[in-house]
Amino acid sequence: MLKQSTFAKMLLAAALMTTSAQAEETVVWWDFLAGGDGVRMKQMISDFNAAHEGKITIDATTLEWGVPFYSKVQTSAAVDEAPDVMTYHASRIPLAVKQGILQEITAGDWEKMGLSEADYADATWNAVTIDGKQYAVPLDTHPIVLYYNKDVLGEAGLLTEDGTPKGMDSREGFTATLQALKDAGSVKFPLGSVTADGNFMFRTIYSLMGQQDGELMTDGEFLAGDNKKKLENALAVLAEWTNDGLQSTYTDYPATVALFTTGDAAMMVNGVWEVPTMVDLHKDGKLFEWGAVELPVIFDHPATYADSHVFAIPANKSKEMTAEKRDAVLEVMSWISQNSLFWATAGHIPAYGPVTASDEYKAMEPNATYSSLTENMIFDPKSPLAGVAGPIFDVMSTYFVPTLNGEMEPAEAVEEIEYELNDMQ
Amino acid sequence: MIRNPTREALVAYVLIAPFVAVYALIFIYPMAQLFYLSFTDAPLIGSGDFVGVEHYGSLPSDRRFNTAIWNTAYFVALTVIPGTIVALVISLGVSRLSGRLQSLVLALFFLPYILPVSVVYRLWDWTLNFQFGIAMHVFDMIGIDRVPIFKVTGWFMPAVAFVTIWWTAGFSILLFLAGLRAIPKEIYEAASLDNAGRWRTFRKVTWPLLWPVTSLVLTIQLILQLKIFDQVYLFSDGGRPNDNLVMVYYIFQRAFERDQGGHAAAAAVVLFLIVIVVSVLNFQLMRLSGSRNR
Repeated sequence: MLKQSTFAKMLLAAALMTTSAQAEETVVWWDFLAGGDGVRMKQMISDFNAAHEGKITIDATTLEWGVPFYSKVQTSAAVDEAPDVMTYHASRIPLAVKQGILQEITAGDWEKMGLSEADYADATWNAVTIDGKQYAVPLDTHPIVLYYNKDVLGEAGLLTEDGTPKGMDSREGFTATLQALKDAGSVKFPLGSVTADGNFMFRTIYSLMGQQDGELMTDGEFLAGDNKKKLENALAVLAEWTNDGLQSTYTDYPATVALFTTGDAAMMVNGVWEVPTMVDLHKDGKLFEWGAVELPVIFDHPATYADSHVFAIPANKSKEMTAEKRDAVLEVMSWISQNSLFWATAGHIPAYGPVTASDEYKAMEPNATYSSLTENMIFDPKSPLAGVAGPIFDVMSTYFVPTLNGEMEPAEAVEEIEYELNDMQ
Repeated sequence: MIRNPTREALVAYVLIAPFVAVYALIFIYPMAQLFYLSFTDAPLIGSGDFVGVEHYGSLPSDRRFNTAIWNTAYFVALTVIPGTIVALVISLGVSRLSGRLQSLVLALFFLPYILPVSVVYRLWDWTLNFQFGIAMHVFDMIGIDRVPIFKVTGWFMPAVAFVTIWWTAGFSILLFLAGLRAIPKEIYEAASLDNAGRWRTFRKVTWPLLWPVTSLVLTIQLILQLKIFDQVYLFSDGGRPNDNLVMVYYIFQRAFERDQGGHAAAAAVVLFLIVIVVSVLNFQLMRLSGSRNR
């Protein structure tokens, strides 16, 4: 009898062990984060794995950013080989929904994750919403900001009392600051601008359109009504800076960062993801005193273009995800979101409100200074043509580059852009 | 031994069967699918509705398709004949050298050919970058204005063509050298006995005897350059992509960026037909001029 019960206990124990072994879910994860932020994400993944030992393991792979990533997601979903969770850009969601490769994040899912609409900025929540349904969980927003060299601006007497650049509130004011830097003659370029890369300049130009309440797309039409004029205004400002020798011309992305970090350009408009570059250089004593602030208000009110890194669950064509697996995926998205303070060291602004409201975040600089722009964010138009490495970017780049370098008049560029964007529909 | 034609044919079929099977599976079948796809409005993945010749009808009025056609033609004009001439001149020079020196010089000219396109792109981007390129510092030194080579349309295609010739000439040089070595020395001796000058020797001996190789090089170059994509795509990055479109880039944009598999397929079919027509024309032209040469 005794023997039997011991045997039964052993059986029970064995059964328990197998169930617990079965209960350990492996979540296959794809991302496109290969830079400094990729290193930080790997850290977060290993933290997650440590905190969920025996329950959930993330099996992560980093793929090539841009078109290669998005093509692979699409093809893998078609043959039931998509990952369980992946990073995505909010701007790419409209195309993905049209292709049917994303699963909806339902109200029940949000509840399970312990996250809700109230935790996010309106613009961010809206960016993952198509026709009233959510298709992704926002991880961050990554806007562009104005980086500046405190040493150079200070010497030229162009810093305000709180250490930010003067003239941030108007076109005249900011142009005067640039002109003063030029006159001081201590730098090659007052403003380092990615003028050779129209893809990148889209972010700046779209921000300037947003400052006039301009919209790229209204009722399915590109640049309708006075939006055309607003784009022209935005281009005219930048063209003027080029004509007056206030910004670097034909400069590509790496060259712009180099111009700024070597002190050849006093200011630079770039993504927040360059913050770690500056922090690391400064720590090694290889960089001047620097700061980053929200873009200057060139037109009516502040507005900054942002995109958002999000988590999405791919929809395999004919393979359903098990309920256990889905719960594990939800836990992954929830845990990383709620522990995204570390993600802020990559420069990005965590999308999860309680993180940015925390005292730890408020002590982080320059992140805390520029995070105010969350109020003024604008996202891409909701079109399958939009998004990073998408067709709109190609059209814009084609006409921005000549306009920003004095080869083409802004008015002509706008005519061409309008024609070509609407021609794509 | 009596030959058995039936048996021989059977053996032949068995021997070529594996090739034909693989060829049919990975070439003929996808191509048939491509033709079919071009008559549908399918996205990149999955099937679509039949739309007849709609895509073909819309191609001529698509301004970017026209850009692509003209740029491709322009690129072919800039690379095929100039590239062949460059390779021929270099190989004539190299063939005058001998021994180790010849091997060394040949290796130097061949070296770029083994580089992957991404490396070629990086090398030339670093050389010609407007802000930091080495060439720009040279420009500054000799007092010429800097030129944003890959960012203005006027310079783009010629520059990419130049880089392409630099990159691929090594292979053509090799073919030409083999051709030159195959010309018997006695003919040159006879020519010099007849007091023929260098130019005359080249025109009357080298050129006609080298013609089969020249036409081979031209044909290879022509087909290769009609399919140009990599360099143009890489050098356009962030610049003026839509002004720099070539045929394969256009197909790539439609298929992978705009998710229009059907439309992209139609453009691919057009490119396919262009390649066939041009190659056949080229071949006939070579044959005619070849027979006139002899």
